[in-house]
Parts: sequence; C-alpha cells; structure tokens
Amino acid sequence: MKPLHRWVLALAACTWVAAVGVGFTLLARYSTDAGASAAAPQVWPLDSRMAPPDGHYRLVMTLHPNCPCSRASVVELNNLMSLLRRDNVRGSVLVVKPAEFPDAWIDTESVRNARRIDGVDVLVDVDGVESARLGAQTSGQVLLYGPDRQLRFAGGLTPDRGHQGDSPGRQRIVSLIKNGKADARESLVFGCPLGVTVCPRPTAPAGKGL
Amino acid sequence: MQSVSDVQLNDADVQRAEELFQQQVRARHGSADRMFAVLMIAQWIFGVILALLVSPYAWAGKVREFHPHLYAAVFMGAGLAAFPVALALLRPGRVSTRHVMVASQMLWSALFIHLTGGRIETHFHVFGSLAFVAFYFDWKVLLTATAVVAGDHLLRGMLYPESVYGIANPEWWRFLEHAGWVVFEDVVLAWSCVIGLKEMKGIAFRQAEVEALKEREEAKSAALEMVLRELQPSPAA
Repeated sequence: MKPLHRWVLALAACTWVAAVGVGFTLLARYSTDAGASAAAPQVWPLDSRMAPPDGHYRLVMTLHPNCPCSRASVVELNNLMSLLRRDNVRGSVLVVKPAEFPDAWIDTESVRNARRIDGVDVLVDVDGVESARLGAQTSGQVLLYGPDRQLRFAGGLTPDRGHQGDSPGRQRIVSLIKNGKADARESLVFGCPLGVTVCPRPTAPAGKGL
Repeated sequence: MQSVSDVQLNDADVQRAEELFQQQVRARHGSADRMFAVLMIAQWIFGVILALLVSPYAWAGKVREFHPHLYAAVFMGAGLAAFPVALALLRPGRVSTRHVMVASQMLWSALFIHLTGGRIETHFHVFGSLAFVAFYFDWKVLLTATAVVAGDHLLRGMLYPESVYGIANPEWWRFLEHAGWVVFEDVVLAWSCVIGLKEMKGIAFRQAEVEALKEREEAKSAALEMVLRELQPSPAA
C-alpha cells in the first residue's frame, strides 16, 4: 500500500475510534445522570390521601407512566417486593397524570406491570399532588416509611438509567427492613422529571424544631 | 492409471498448493467481510427500530422530546457501521479490515445493551458475535474482540461500576470474571479456526495433486499420440 494511503487509513481509523469513544462517553454520562432527589418529609404527611403506614412498612414509588427508564424501576420494584413478601411491607405506585390528559395516556407497559405486582396498589395521582406532598420530583423515586411513620429511605431502585439489575437502593432497603440498618438511607434516582412543583422543606435552625 | 494418492508433488506443485490455499483464505476473509458488512447495516436498522419501540421519547412532566437513545441508535449506529462497511467495500480480505470489523461488532453489543437498559438477554449478543467472528478462520481477530469486551468492562468498572455490576464497590478482579467467560468461548473458537485452516490446506493440497496428476496424464496422452502418429504408415508407402 502506498505510504499516503496508509496515512489516510490510519487517520480514518483514529477519527473513527475517537468518534466512537465520544459517543459512548456521552451515552454513559446520560445513563448515570441522576434525577432530582426527593425533598421527602421525615414523617408521613398527615394530609396524605394514602393510608398511613401504621403497623407496617410503606414503600411508595412515584411513576411517570411514559418514562422509558422507569420500566426498569418497576421491574426492580417487583423483585424487591418478592424479596420482602414476608416482611409486612405494603407498596404503592403513584402514577402521575396531568388532569387534562386522557386516561389512555397512563395505559402503558410500566403501569400495567406495576398493577401485576403482588402487594402493590397503583394509584392515579392527578397533577402529581400526592407526589408533591411526598417531595418526589423524579419518576422511579422510592420512599420507605416505617411502622412508626418515620422516613427510612429515599432513593431509586436502579443502578443507572433504565438499567435492570442489583442496585445500592435495593440493597439498602432490604438491609433496613431485615436488619434495621444500612450503610446509607438514600440512593440516586434515575428517571424522567415528574413535572410536579415541590415546595422546598424549611430547614430548622440548630437546636430548634419546626 | 495413477491415483491421486500416488502423485509425488514436486516443488512447483507444493508452491501451487500454497497459492491455492492462500487464495481460499483470502476468499474466506473477503466473504466474511461482506457478511459482516451486511450484518452491520442490518444491526443499524434493528437498533433504530429498537430505540423507537423501547425508548422513543424522554419526558419531563407533560413535555416530550426525542430520547437520547434514539439519537444514539441513529448516529452512533451509523458511525459503528460506516467505517467497517467502507473497509469491506474498498479493502476486502485485508488484515486491518477484519480487525476493525470485529471491534465494531463487539461495540454493537455495548450499544444494544445500552439501548435495552442492560437487559440480561441482550448480553447474549456478545457470545453470538464471537461465534460470527470465528467465520474468519483467523484466531487473532478473536483477541481483538476479547480486548474490546475486556476494555469496556474495565473502563466502566472503574468509572461507572454500578452500570456493570450493580454495586458501587465491586472487587477489582470482577471484570476478569466477565472476560473469563469470553475467553472460555475464545479457546474453543480459536481451536476451530486452526482446525478449519488445516482442512482448507488439506483441500488445497489435494486440489494441487489433482492438477498435477491431470497435467501428467495430459502430457502422457500427448506423447502417446505423437508416437502413434509417427508409427502410422505414410500414404505414399
């Protein structure tokens, strides 16, 4: 091969490798770009329309019905509920639906799969009122409240966007329920923004309560 | 009449056998390049359809826009396919073509795994692709394929371990476990490549023997005809 052709081929190969590398880097960044975490109340909100977790754990997941990444979150919720079926855990999935959108808008694979999970109720959250009450801003957000109505965990169930499989969130929830402790009480949430307006929770000055 | 097994090959015949063998190997490489070129385009179309079915839109409340996975399928897919397909058309059968081709094929596995959200079943594409790579009958390209898989796991294991292992602090050697299964398949495929080449060489030598035998029989027939012509009485006598 002529030297010039060799240089052209080498340059083309290097350009190709660089372009592919940039592409995969952008894809990896998107996959690991977490959504906004919940500003969840430390105590189960009194004005919640859901029954409080008296005597049992309550696991709540907020869901944008059309978020592709949350498909994996629902699968992982199913896996989690299977692991915890003997641990007095009740689950709820809040499906956020704008009031002006038709019911067919929430008839999606994620919602249908959520309805099939044992021990989980699927509730339509019109305009995301209930989700906002819980401080959730991202689809796939999971909140765990204990029998004492205290917040135990706030985070997601997937290792990154739309990715099924074991995750820090699942491990921590299982550890909190079965052992009463975990290395952390939160994890990153990966999903589409719910589009709800969440009021920031006031932080108490040191030494004073709300 | 001599049989093929009785033929003694001289140096010229051995050279002819080698030529035939190299021709068959080049034809094999070119044929595999064309197969992969078609596969690249088919995978690109499949990737776009997959993205349209699985994740066409990203949402923020009521607003939607095209999902980044759709852009990845269209543009990254085009990038993964274009250079190898160009090489297959312009430089079929070359060493560089097949190494680029197998590297791209393994990167397609990574792209499909991204597009399907790490679905376990999509990982089968890795092992299926290795079997396709063996069509080249060149064990060295298996090394390239394995290096791409191991490199991907090593990098992502260091930078985004949750995306590979589901936990933030995997053991340092975890990527070796994944690459190990790839090596397991590599060993068998490499052996099949060596056996395949040996059989091709055998075929080439047999073909050279047949050619040599045919040549000698033709030479004998020509010599016999000449003698018979000389022995025939001339019409004047």
